[in-house]
Amino acid sequence: MEPRPPASAPDAGSRVRIDAFGLSDVGKMRKENEDQFLVASLHKSMQVHHTSLDVFTAIADSQQAGAYLLVVADGVGGLGGGRSASSAAVEALASHIANAVRVYFNRDTDVEDAFLAELERGVDLSHQQIREKLGQSASRGPATTLTVVVVAWPRTYFVHVGDSRAYLFRNGALRQLTRDQTVAEELVDQGVMTEEQATRSGLKNVLTSALGGSEIKPSLGLVDLARGDALLLCTDGLTKHVTDQTITAELGRGEGAEATCRRLVDDALAGGGSDNVSVIVARAAS
Amino acid sequence: MVGAPATGKTSLVQRFVKSIFSERYHSTVGVRIERKEVDADGTPVNLVLWDIEGQERFQSVQTSYLRGAGGLIFVVDGTRGETLEQLASMREQAHGAVGDVPCAVALNKADLAASWALTPEQERALGAAFPHVLKTSAKTGAGVEAMFGWLAAAMLKAPAGA
Repeated sequence: MEPRPPASAPDAGSRVRIDAFGLSDVGKMRKENEDQFLVASLHKSMQVHHTSLDVFTAIADSQQAGAYLLVVADGVGGLGGGRSASSAAVEALASHIANAVRVYFNRDTDVEDAFLAELERGVDLSHQQIREKLGQSASRGPATTLTVVVVAWPRTYFVHVGDSRAYLFRNGALRQLTRDQTVAEELVDQGVMTEEQATRSGLKNVLTSALGGSEIKPSLGLVDLARGDALLLCTDGLTKHVTDQTITAELGRGEGAEATCRRLVDDALAGGGSDNVSVIVARAAS
Repeated sequence: MVGAPATGKTSLVQRFVKSIFSERYHSTVGVRIERKEVDADGTPVNLVLWDIEGQERFQSVQTSYLRGAGGLIFVVDGTRGETLEQLASMREQAHGAVGDVPCAVALNKADLAASWALTPEQERALGAAFPHVLKTSAKTGAGVEAMFGWLAAAMLKAPAGA
């Protein structure tokens, strides 16, 4: 079968400014912040100013298509293990994706499927690194969630393990891009538990998939962004205390990414701050 | 996987890839991607399945998701006749985006026989218009392996660049 050609979508030819910001807070109850986040922009390193060669013109074009890498990770494990796990995951993932994105920018090859595979591979490598560095964990060993978004305007790829989340805010509506990988969610899917029971159940905090854990089940997807859209990535320290309605209202204010991040973290702390809380907001200019 | 909302695209993919079914409805945002290796007439084929968000009207954003696809499955909810209405225009726009790639129609939710809304005439007309039409049930698994298996084999046989 032929591989997919590079994505081309509405707005693909026009650059859109992305305003992205990330923020993390230890919260009110924990002594250590085991969350990690990363907001990075990715560019090709070579700058072509003038050339008669088409191939370099293509590279120069691609330089304008900067990509953004957004990552949140929520470590678990105690005694510093959770922090180490989330750090190792983000570091390994970021270096892998930085290389993969450079490949993606090469428009001579059909690489979208390859890039998606690299996203999954990056997650798997992070998983292996945690297990090698911190030991093969049992169910309570050092482990971490990982939610990764790569914005290569307008196409936006996401890969996800655990119960941190990515949301898309579009036209005033908030939609969750990821699905929590928890025992409670699985039981609701199986019809064993209602959604209301799941929200009250301790099983909502038990992950069925975590980097460094016994199993990872990365889920992969993509969406094409439109002008005015916003992305939110967050650890569960936000969603334990802040409802979707409040998140929608905060994103709907239309403030800059930094101001929105600060409001959301303040909301989580005001709601109890029982966990570390990390948020990333990325807004596409209207 | 293309079709109106709530026709069962995600459920078909989950049944095919993970052998699971849930009554719970989650609307897909954008595209969910799954992979599965299948045996197509003795040839191993690595299927990359793009489960595309359903929309009432086929919009340009969906054609951007389709570009590069090697095959298409249009999903109709057999208990909601209205999900057939957009099929012809979806097919036209989809083939406009990806060319004349192999395509099939899944008449899904076949387990709900008492609620079946498609007439034999409609099913016959679909059979004449599309190369492959099959009743499927993500709930029981009926027709699911056969649907994806047919598409994999058809894609292998399709001329390069089709």
